[in-house]
Amino acid sequence: MAAKTRYFVLTAAGILTAGLTTGLVASYMGGLPVALSHQAGPDDLAFVPPDAIAVGYANVQEVMASELRQRLRRMQEANPDSPDRHDFEEKTGVNVERDIDAVVGALLPASGDTGGNPLVLARGRFDQVRIEGLARDHGGEVSDYQGVRMIAHTGDEKTMALGFLAPGVVAVGSIEGVRGAIDAKRSGRNVMSNTEIMRLVGELDGNNAWAVGRFDAMASSTGLPGELQQRMPTLSWFSAAGHLNGGITGTFKAEAKDEEAAKNLRDMMRGVVAMVKLQADGKPEMRAFVDSLQLGGEGKTVAVGFSVPAEMFDALEKMREARRPAEVR
Amino acid sequence: MSEPAARPAPLSTVAAARRVFDLSFGEMLWSRRTIFMALVVGGPVLLAIIFRIVEAFGAPALRVNGARVAGGSVFGVMIWMLYIRFIVPVLGLFYGTALMADEVEDKTLTYLFTRPIPRGSVLLGKYLAYLACTSLVVLPSVMLTYFLTVPFAQVAATFRSLVLDLALLGAGLAVYGAVFAFVGARLKRPLVSGLVFAFGWEQLALALPGYLRQFTVAHHLQSLVPHTMPADSTLSVIQGLFRQTSSVSAALTALGLMLVVFLWLAMRTVARREYVLEQ
Repeated sequence: MAAKTRYFVLTAAGILTAGLTTGLVASYMGGLPVALSHQAGPDDLAFVPPDAIAVGYANVQEVMASELRQRLRRMQEANPDSPDRHDFEEKTGVNVERDIDAVVGALLPASGDTGGNPLVLARGRFDQVRIEGLARDHGGEVSDYQGVRMIAHTGDEKTMALGFLAPGVVAVGSIEGVRGAIDAKRSGRNVMSNTEIMRLVGELDGNNAWAVGRFDAMASSTGLPGELQQRMPTLSWFSAAGHLNGGITGTFKAEAKDEEAAKNLRDMMRGVVAMVKLQADGKPEMRAFVDSLQLGGEGKTVAVGFSVPAEMFDALEKMREARRPAEVR
Repeated sequence: MSEPAARPAPLSTVAAARRVFDLSFGEMLWSRRTIFMALVVGGPVLLAIIFRIVEAFGAPALRVNGARVAGGSVFGVMIWMLYIRFIVPVLGLFYGTALMADEVEDKTLTYLFTRPIPRGSVLLGKYLAYLACTSLVVLPSVMLTYFLTVPFAQVAATFRSLVLDLALLGAGLAVYGAVFAFVGARLKRPLVSGLVFAFGWEQLALALPGYLRQFTVAHHLQSLVPHTMPADSTLSVIQGLFRQTSSVSAALTALGLMLVVFLWLAMRTVARREYVLEQ
């Protein structure tokens, strides 16, 4: 064998061996060392405890600046029945459009019979003094947990809390949830070490709103009726992602516990999609949405993709206007 | 009077095929055809590099209906559209049909046939050289494409499908190579017949309902692909509508049978056919 042929064979075999070794190491370790891999998802996942049942994210600035949001806002302003959007700012000291950049939400396992513990992490610009003052006015109690300032408010059933976790990061949720967020950041044990959730998050990176979670745990934590839980196929994980701009495009993906369950669910969804398409025959304004419905998935996954064009919101608004009594119009 | 020199004992088919392999491998690797192969397999790598650069700047490299397409999905589409549907059949066709045709065209077949080796081993050795040559170019290209498109965080989750892809492409090269080696050994204008088979018959049979698809390599190969079939053209939408995948065992059995049968037929044809070298 000539020298150049030998070098070529060695180079090609080297590329294959290096790739296969890297993949094997990653499979064995459940992922590549952090230094080598780009971490999926927003940095604020570092505040979410590792045992989170579900995690969601929304890029508030992108959503607020989207053409769709502007369209909905114009509709809202034109509607005299719509609630005053300044109410929220007066009560909390936070203007969602101006002050919040992104939001991470999580559902944490329940402690006792309390259902899931919600946790919302908002990143943006917050006036801590003003928020604290307003919270005190509404009966909030300021305390300190692991050096982090927290405001707790006990309502009818639950104690809700707000904590200033880091400059520009506020956590809101159940008191257990906010404390869990503080502990997660302090200990470094957070949802980023949860390989199953991070695998799903990695697939959704780039959308301006998404959520992933364990379906079975969420169904019991959110109080889905027992009968409905039993009727649902054995789903283990779900993920949903959306992109808002002129309209909404999104995908919903679920992972069943086995391929048989996934096949049954795909069959069921195929039937539902066909029924929706039949129903939409007489409604041209729904046509674009219905045509965009796409069923996919293979093996243990079932996926549904959709696209809601901006024109459909106009059509819905016109329908709503037409149904309103003449005197209100 | 001296004794005439004893004729060397003829080599066995395997030993002879090994000698032909040694002779043909380097020749095939540095032929003009390899430049074409490098261009063909370099395409996906180039696309993957562009994808990685765009993603590195934080911009979505690919959007469908406004939604960002993840690297894993982009790799799946590349495997389907570039490797399975195009690169593997094309390389099988260009190399497979040329295994004997090149020797006939260059009028060097006589030198091989006058050696004390079974004629069939010439084809077998050349076929093995083709397989080694194409595998050593295509598979590293797939590996590079994979690591350029799939984020490191998803390697653990998608590694199994990469191994399947590599095995599948290796099987595709082997089976297409055997089919086109037979076409090259048997027919006078093998390239035209091969093109009709790969891009005419196979595409048509896949789009038709019924059992005709069983007589294609593509159907059995596509039954084993771990990625979702993309609906990128009207033809693929129709193919998707009538898509019936074989079970893994059925697909593997069919591919194995095709490989053995066509390779045996090609070797038999070479052993029996009288090649006329035009002066």
